[in-house]
Amino acid sequence: MTRLAALAALVALCACTPVAPYQRGYLARPDMALTADPGTTRTTELTYEAKEAARGGASVGGGGCGCN
Amino acid sequence: MQAALALPILAVAAKAGAAEVGEIGITTLGYKERGLMKVTEPVLWGRVELAEVWEIEASGAIDIVTGASPELVTNISGKPVQSVTGASINDRRTTGNVKVTRRFGDYALAASTAHSNEEDYHSKSWAVEGRADLNRRNTTIVASYGEAHDHVGSSIDPTLNEPRDTREYLVGVTQILTPVDIVDSNLTYSRGHGDYDDPYKLTLTFYPDQILPTLLPDTRPDHRDMFAWLTRYRHHYASRNGTLQAEYRFFHDDWGITAHTLEVGWEQQLNEHWSVRPGLRYYTQNAADFYAPVIPRPTPAVLSSDQRLAAFGGLSPSLRVTWRGADGWKVEGTAGYVQDSASFRLGGKGSEAFATLRAVYGLLTVSRAF
Repeated sequence: MTRLAALAALVALCACTPVAPYQRGYLARPDMALTADPGTTRTTELTYEAKEAARGGASVGGGGCGCN
Repeated sequence: MQAALALPILAVAAKAGAAEVGEIGITTLGYKERGLMKVTEPVLWGRVELAEVWEIEASGAIDIVTGASPELVTNISGKPVQSVTGASINDRRTTGNVKVTRRFGDYALAASTAHSNEEDYHSKSWAVEGRADLNRRNTTIVASYGEAHDHVGSSIDPTLNEPRDTREYLVGVTQILTPVDIVDSNLTYSRGHGDYDDPYKLTLTFYPDQILPTLLPDTRPDHRDMFAWLTRYRHHYASRNGTLQAEYRFFHDDWGITAHTLEVGWEQQLNEHWSVRPGLRYYTQNAADFYAPVIPRPTPAVLSSDQRLAAFGGLSPSLRVTWRGADGWKVEGTAGYVQDSASFRLGGKGSEAFATLRAVYGLLTVSRAF
């Protein structure tokens, strides 16, 4: 069910009206970035992953540690 | 005369047209739990674009972990409780990773590798990624594959050296919805096989009708398949000069754990240089199928009393303050608090032996874009 919802969302997204390059000024703002800087992202992810069972979702190939 | 008049115009044009080609920064984390563990981690990171088609990203970090960690769960007092045995931790982990991306117009291919070494854990991983910009660069799709080959050891058992291998898959889409809205959604799936036991954790259970207690080391399944769905959303409110940042992750694995993570932040631009971002993160999970703080009878083949596999929830407020200079400098500080508790679990019924975790953390980043 979750996979179907994900696929439906993906198909729905493709129907959006394109935003022209000259309209993307706000999208280029630092606060519109989907991730923080690499150092902040890495350290906050590890802070939570060391104490929780859930992990992942943002990328692959990061390797593991003995912290969890 | 004409050459002299041309120079300032050329200089202004060069600055306006100058594109950022890279960034380098250092981030330092300080993390402290009440009565337990303390972590200090400096991370050096950077990225650079070369010839407009190559991008190289790299980072290196040292984790310095000291303090204590609950190692024993026992019901000697009548109820199962976490117990710190007194052994102190003094661990140092070094990590490094590199990612190289080559762009081909609207497409990009990337390869990355990461290494991590500490006394009782060694990890080597790599990944490949393909990315395509579609729909006049309003839509980006990404697919990645990665492998990790780890070895688990123990500082109290030098003979322990067991493998843990993982294969990871990711598909994702980033979509510009409007001039002020963007959403990103990733599905990841990983299949792991090998040693997942925690070599430092034990369960000691007393029974009313038995003189001697039962002592069981942490024993987990030799496989773990995980699924995660992460969605991130940003909306800019131009009239308020602020941006809503929201993220939700659904997680499920074949250990029986289902978890939800929701984080909401509001980044408020105060002026040209300063912004503040209060945020709140909520986390909830149920217990693993083999989690038990008391050893049942008969003794099962797999059992762990590690409370990271228990049913609990967590709340984590944070505040980030950022200063951005006109010449690419950025200084950013974050202060956060973490509280994990059985009572925070969504719907209640958190695990009875879960010891509330309270921790504070601080981050400081200094970086320069060039």
